[in-house]
Amino acid sequence: MSRRPPRGEYIETDTGNKVARKATLVGTQNIMLGGKTVIQPDVMIRGDLARTIPPAQSASGGPANNTAVAIGRYCFLSRGCCLRPPGRMYKGVFTFMPLRLGDHVFVGPGTVVQAAQIGNHVHIGGKVVIGEFAIIKDYVKVLDGSVVPPNMVIPSFSIVAGQPARIIGEIPEGGIEAFELRDLYKTVGNNPQPTAP
Amino acid sequence: MSSATPSPVPSSAHGHHKRHSILPAVSQSGPKPPVQFSSSCTIADSALLTGPHTIIVSTESVIHPRARLESLGGRVTVGRRCIVHERACLGAADLQGRYHKGSPDKEGRSMGAVTLGDYVTVEVGAQVESGGTVIGEGTTVGIGTRVGAGAVVGKHCTLTANSTVAAGEVIPDYTVIYSNGLRRIDKRGVSDLKNKAQARQIDVLRRMIPSNPGKFQ
Repeated sequence: MSRRPPRGEYIETDTGNKVARKATLVGTQNIMLGGKTVIQPDVMIRGDLARTIPPAQSASGGPANNTAVAIGRYCFLSRGCCLRPPGRMYKGVFTFMPLRLGDHVFVGPGTVVQAAQIGNHVHIGGKVVIGEFAIIKDYVKVLDGSVVPPNMVIPSFSIVAGQPARIIGEIPEGGIEAFELRDLYKTVGNNPQPTAP
Repeated sequence: MSSATPSPVPSSAHGHHKRHSILPAVSQSGPKPPVQFSSSCTIADSALLTGPHTIIVSTESVIHPRARLESLGGRVTVGRRCIVHERACLGAADLQGRYHKGSPDKEGRSMGAVTLGDYVTVEVGAQVESGGTVIGEGTTVGIGTRVGAGAVVGKHCTLTANSTVAAGEVIPDYTVIYSNGLRRIDKRGVSDLKNKAQARQIDVLRRMIPSNPGKFQ
């Protein structure tokens, strides 16, 4: 009698992505994961809201590379968060624009992200709402419960909080190491390694 | 160090057919509601409709995947050209977990649990509690907003993200609720333009979201 290994909570791909089985990913062919990214259960990613390229312009027959959501390396999407591409009227037609996350982006639990672009090494707290077409630059910390209004641009190295979100501080010189998510990546998954002492 | 090439999300290790979504099955708890769908509305396959009372979705409205419509407190009516985003809940229980039933209106008819006017947008994770709650035409209920039981929200209002409307509260037309409960009146006069933009958005969404109303009828 063959014994299969028990089904773990996460699917681990060969590029190191850890995707929970209970995550809701709609339209997976339009979602790009950079590698070593963790997607926890109850995360919802809307890849079906992709940009509709007019057929005259598509070069290689059909929407072969129509990315709706592009996520970088070592990202961490906590439970219950929701990533959806922003949409607006563009040249008379309502279109969705791609949502791009950089590397080492931590998205807290229950957060809804509708930004256009998020840079590298960004820490987003829990229950945050990032409005449509917001742009978050690198090394930014968004505190829990903030509401970033649509079209806001958050410069690098800022700390942002409030409803509506305002810049309340700057990342100090020694605070850059706290954004690294490599250790957090190792603690999650089917064979979690304990955190280093 | 070589840069990793981005990889699409993997499909099942055992399946050879290409899977387009990872949608874990959510058990359909509760009774299957009687529904009245207009022929042109778009209901995603993984929308969640429960409850004993009727759920009505009118012309050209769009229900995204994983939206919840619960008619446990009464009938749920969605107007024309509405958009209900994912994880929004119409007819939710209040914070204590009770489903309110609306008190009868002046003529003695029982109010439905939730009534949405035309051109309403209910965004991600918003909770509209049951109990005679009325959302006026053209209103946008923002992300994560909670509208209390029996509240009457006027026309063309904007409830920004994470705001709260208390139970039974009456919000006048054209109000904007922002920041931590601040209110102001929207004097831009753009209601017609917003309605037209919503109609355009619905045209695009109808082609993107595969509709399966037959599953619920």
